[in-house]
Amino acid sequence: MTFVHQEVWHWQIATYLFLGGLGGATFAISAIIHLFEGCDRKMVSVAVMSSIAFLVIGTVFLLADMLQPLKAIYALTNPKSWIFWGVVFINFYFIAAITYVIPLLEAWPKLEPFIRKIPEPILGLLERFNNLAALGGSAAGFLVAIYTGLLISAAPAINFWNTPALPLLFVISGFSTGAAFLLLLSTFSDNEGAHKIASRLEQLDAVLIVTELIILGAYFNFAMFLPTGARASAEFLFHSPVFIAGFFVAGLIVPLAIETYSIFFRGHGNEGRKSALPILVASSLVLVGGYLLRIYVLKAGMFQFPW
Amino acid sequence: MARYGMVMDMRTCVGCQACMAACSTENQTPFWSEKFRTHVEDKEQGVFPDVRRVQLPRLCMHCENTPCLSACPTGATHMDKNGIVLVNYDRCIGCYACCIACPYDARYAYDGKDVDKERELYGENVSHEMPHVDKCTFCVQRLAEKLEPACVATCPTHTRIFGDLDDSKSEVHKLARSGKAQPLNQGLGTSPKVFYIPS
Repeated sequence: MTFVHQEVWHWQIATYLFLGGLGGATFAISAIIHLFEGCDRKMVSVAVMSSIAFLVIGTVFLLADMLQPLKAIYALTNPKSWIFWGVVFINFYFIAAITYVIPLLEAWPKLEPFIRKIPEPILGLLERFNNLAALGGSAAGFLVAIYTGLLISAAPAINFWNTPALPLLFVISGFSTGAAFLLLLSTFSDNEGAHKIASRLEQLDAVLIVTELIILGAYFNFAMFLPTGARASAEFLFHSPVFIAGFFVAGLIVPLAIETYSIFFRGHGNEGRKSALPILVASSLVLVGGYLLRIYVLKAGMFQFPW
Repeated sequence: MARYGMVMDMRTCVGCQACMAACSTENQTPFWSEKFRTHVEDKEQGVFPDVRRVQLPRLCMHCENTPCLSACPTGATHMDKNGIVLVNYDRCIGCYACCIACPYDARYAYDGKDVDKERELYGENVSHEMPHVDKCTFCVQRLAEKLEPACVATCPTHTRIFGDLDDSKSEVHKLARSGKAQPLNQGLGTSPKVFYIPS
């Protein structure tokens, strides 16, 4: 039995996985908040445009890692492959997100003349199906986020990846980074309702981090249980200072502590706007931690060969 | 229609690596980048003083249940009518999903630098005109001419035994059926068509 570090997927794919989870979750959370809580269209449009940019940049990293990126259209051939479904989810996401965001851009006076150039019947349709696009795009965003985990779990000889816990971990981490990004955005909004949304996002992110810690516990318990490649991978991560200090402590524990303090000891929204600094620090740490998680999960992938 | 397979008799392998050289020459694989379709693992087994060296030749197992085929989004990886797992170079986008899915380390990237070097070495007679993921084909081009794969024909110790697993008269059929030869990593359920007689 030999354990060998995978040397196939590196930081480019980790970036793609990170931006896929971040982009999908940012859209899903902002569209759901817009639908059920209501918030200013400017903030939602910035969030959605950012989420589209994340997925575009992520896709560029994926294509740049391929041997023949110009033939990428062939990826829509084999439905047994997770990449096939990733392409479907991402394209469905782009269609829904663009449909959803165009009417919202009218909130920006400088963009309004461009939006007005769209024929009225089409603009009317986009307005009419805005809620449907929000829901459809949220579903697609969720699927993109979970797909990032499903993609790398399709590796029978990499025990650490080939587990149902990994897609769960990636989707929860993706939504945590999405909530953190929206929290960051909320600090730049001067809208009256922004601090209320920020409080909600803080609560959401704290719950997501706690869920992520529970999944991590179950995941590492599974990995350490048997003398397989999964244990070798888990031991590698335990001995990686950047994973422990950067992801686990700085990317999960510290933001959770800041957010918990903010939720329980710094008022509940109606007492006025909170200081932006703790939110900025916690959100930035969650984002950096989310990226480190993907980098280190990929680094820790070890093939278990039978020789 | 056949169901081609191979038996490796580990009792006789001396680790001369002639199979690797023959495969590289036949299939223009990038030996200059130390990438091969077939390898010979040189392993030490046991604890001192009870130790020994074992040679384990390996290549694509041409699994019946192929994780690489499922992972390939483009359909470039496919199985031909004789059960040989092949890559259609024209359709391969080089996403490496197959390399990640393969439990036997049987695939590698024939990248742009390798294509350039191949052209430098072989001129117009190149087998790999574009970058793609590469793997063992059981030398399909030789099978079409009723020849054995290059590694089998070259092996001086008759370690590699090739044939139709469905042909009851073939040596591979008899060895695989007898249980004397077993596939690697059976627990994964990939049903490999390469079997090993332990040393």
